[in-house]
Amino acid sequence: MRNRLKIERAILNLTQEELAHKIGVSRQTISSIEKNRYVPSTVLSLKLSILFQKPVNEFFELDDTEISEVKK
Amino acid sequence: MDLKSILECERKSLEKLKRYQLPNSFKKVGVGIILISVVSIIGIKLSIDTPNLKKAAMYGVLLGLLVISISKEKIEDELITNLRMQSYALAFIAGVLITLTNPLFSYIASSLFDKQLEHFNGMGDWQILWILLSIQVFYFELLKRFNK
Repeated sequence: MRNRLKIERAILNLTQEELAHKIGVSRQTISSIEKNRYVPSTVLSLKLSILFQKPVNEFFELDDTEISEVKK
Repeated sequence: MDLKSILECERKSLEKLKRYQLPNSFKKVGVGIILISVVSIIGIKLSIDTPNLKKAAMYGVLLGLLVISISKEKIEDELITNLRMQSYALAFIAGVLITLTNPLFSYIASSLFDKQLEHFNGMGDWQILWILLSIQVFYFELLKRFNK
């Protein structure tokens, strides 16, 4: 899964620490999501969606392999 | 009591089980218990070698590791919960594998070095618990560092 979290965070001019504080997680969690090491839960994704004022699939998207798995 | 209320009751008791964790400050308490236990083991070994006291101190090490293992992080979020679950899973699998393969290795070692004492030696409860807890605590810390 790919994500645009870093870009969306930059648009809002937020640091990892500030974003983490706003959605109630640690800075470590934001860093892991940005590096694609951790896929967040639905609840966390929806919190980000409220903060960025965008639907979840605008900043989280499946990669080509995952899409082809669904289309099989 | 119908099936729905029984299921609801079970769900509530399972939810209560989730609140088993201690506050973050207990990590220091766990480290303290381990240090006191290790110092006690050395002290007992150097002075009066009392097996019961030594055993109690050894179980103190396990208690300390358990306290560290179930203490919360400063921010206990979903990533930490995920890493914690991974570390418990690895500790369980590694613990079972080590416990199962240990008698074989001890048999090979004893047949190579001490041919008169060829036997399958199992592990004691202390060793098994120590392996489980130390792998969990170590692997959890390692996972946290990888995710920094």
